[in-house]
Amino acid sequence: MAMETDVLIIGAGPAGLAAAFELASRGLEVTLVDESAAAGGQLVQQTQLIRSLPAPFQPMRGFALAEALTKRLAALPVRYLLGHRMIGLYRDGSVGVADEANVFPLKARKIVVATGAAENAVPFPKWTLPGIITIGAAQTLINRDFVRPGKHAVIVGSSDFAVDVALQLADVGVNIKAVVERQSALLARDAEKVAQLKQSGIPTYVNAAVKEARGKGEVAEIDIQLSERVITEHVDLVCLDGGRSPVLEACYQLGCSFGYQQELGGWLPQYNKRLQTDREDVFLAGNAAGISTQGVVLATGMIAGVSVCEALRVIGGEEAERLRSALWKELEVLETTLFPEVWQARLRHMDNFGNPLLKEQFIS
Amino acid sequence: METSYETIIIGGGVVGSSIAYHLSERYKEGLLVIDKKFPMSGTSGSTQAWVWVHSKTPAWYAEFSMYSAELYPYLAKKIGDVEYKRTGGLSPFFREQEREKAKRLAEEYGKIGIQIDVLSREEVLAKEPFFNPRVAGATFSLLDGNVNPFRLIDMYMRTAKKNGVHYSTYNRVTDIRRRNDMFIVVSEKGTYASKRLILAAGPWSRELGKLIGINIPINQVRGQILVTEPLKPFLRYTISGLRQANNGEVLIGYSMEQAGFDRSTTLDVIQETANLAIHYVPALKKAKIVRAFSGIRAMPEDGLPILGKVPGIDNLYVAATHSGVTLSPLIGTLLAELLLDGETSLPIERYSLSRFA
Repeated sequence: MAMETDVLIIGAGPAGLAAAFELASRGLEVTLVDESAAAGGQLVQQTQLIRSLPAPFQPMRGFALAEALTKRLAALPVRYLLGHRMIGLYRDGSVGVADEANVFPLKARKIVVATGAAENAVPFPKWTLPGIITIGAAQTLINRDFVRPGKHAVIVGSSDFAVDVALQLADVGVNIKAVVERQSALLARDAEKVAQLKQSGIPTYVNAAVKEARGKGEVAEIDIQLSERVITEHVDLVCLDGGRSPVLEACYQLGCSFGYQQELGGWLPQYNKRLQTDREDVFLAGNAAGISTQGVVLATGMIAGVSVCEALRVIGGEEAERLRSALWKELEVLETTLFPEVWQARLRHMDNFGNPLLKEQFIS
Repeated sequence: METSYETIIIGGGVVGSSIAYHLSERYKEGLLVIDKKFPMSGTSGSTQAWVWVHSKTPAWYAEFSMYSAELYPYLAKKIGDVEYKRTGGLSPFFREQEREKAKRLAEEYGKIGIQIDVLSREEVLAKEPFFNPRVAGATFSLLDGNVNPFRLIDMYMRTAKKNGVHYSTYNRVTDIRRRNDMFIVVSEKGTYASKRLILAAGPWSRELGKLIGINIPINQVRGQILVTEPLKPFLRYTISGLRQANNGEVLIGYSMEQAGFDRSTTLDVIQETANLAIHYVPALKKAKIVRAFSGIRAMPEDGLPILGKVPGIDNLYVAATHSGVTLSPLIGTLLAELLLDGETSLPIERYSLSRFA
């Protein structure tokens, strides 16, 4: 007996929760599937202040935002399937959802894919030694699990996120020996954060890259290639920030077509202004629609939610159009403040809706 | 002005690449293999890669498969290690009344010199201790085994290239014409001319044949395969439906669906497949499935290989079959003989396309 729902949202992070509110507050029955034990996605372990969020959200810390997003769903028709994953599709189009023991079909009228992003590593010789982890993993360990992953660390990469986590690691007593950036300047755009990093006395090296790591069974030292010389740091922790890429498996399975935009994280599903993919019943939200900031992630969730409401006729076309264009304006402001090139890439990506680079991936 | 070759092979999968390699051993003329994608991206890369002789019918087709299996040990000496393992093959049955059928099969095969044993329940469990104790028996042949398909095709291809064969990949053939006894092969990346042409397009054979006005009656069959996490070695034999690979992963697949060229996987079949695997080997219930994939296999209308000259068109050859992995060493050998010597060391008239006329 298949479980039925109006809208299935794959991923209960900020984008999925924002979409769920738009849908459930207008009376649609929503089912959220997430492999974690709690809703909120990556926000749960984010202690940094998130400043630019769409209305009605005031600046707040990540974990507080996660709470706010889940709290407002409390009285609405929302079903959580936590500790569950989408693992495939049945012949009749039902989505297969699994916990650790069983698989069952879930029949949804519409699907919102809000699977978020996955971190990319930065490979170098011996990069798989224990003690070398991604920057996000380091943050999860300190803020969610209250475990300090090492005593002496080097951070490889300098995005806003990497700088945030470097400061958080320093706060819990990790000795940060260096921030290493391949480009000629730090990548973080948030001037206040960069100033904080400079004040903290953590050495930053630009035009620099890890040459190799060494260690018996775990990392013990790494060589950093500077423009003129190589320096060696003794470490038990190396945090890699290779940027993030959209998580694509769900869309791939659902047969959506794909394009490629470097600035949005590489391969990503095609979508139009409704955040609708070329599979009419499948919509996108959050980092799965291109890597961006938390404010943009929420805005895309809201746009997808409004579009699905329109598709299921709970709001009319005109109202949907009005809500959507207001949200897109807000999204543009949020995105162009720090990342104008990402916004440009998003526009290009939507213009390419009719010309995917990959489609019909299962037809050989 | 198009590039000219003595021979062009369309299709670089296990069959096309084997023919290319076997030809290149003795043949120093220009040889080109064209593939619409890349060898291993189609049927040849989505298989359990059994080298399977027993339970093929009719018996003369089993015999043909046996000769091919016999060539595998020598192949390693010529092209390198392809991880061929002659494990022996088990085909279990769960109802005692199937024993008679199994005995008849064994008798039939005995006449052509293939030894098949019909095992009792105890014998099956002695061979495969993890097998379901409710099994009634099994047919067993020492000839069966499996191979690493990626190594196999890669080695065929590398050795062929070392011997001077050209490959043109990600290059779909869009048209084939005749011009003064030459074949003109039009493709996305260019036009080529050749004296001889071999069609080795597996499940795409029917579509390819149409380009030159012949009917190669090949259909598509989809098989969905599950891959478990690596497990300690515990399955000794190639079992019809599952085998354990060198790295400990168990490959499981029983399904045959009509799905055209659609390679998606469906949970309906995945769950049936998992249930059947647990029915065979109950301990697999504890294993984690790490992925599932599906492959489109070639299935001739009568199930038997289509090999040899195409009647009515000089210098045109076809090699299209199910069980391409099992048959590739033999098909490569025979097609090379046919092209270079004009005759084959085993009769292949039975497999001619003319039987469908």
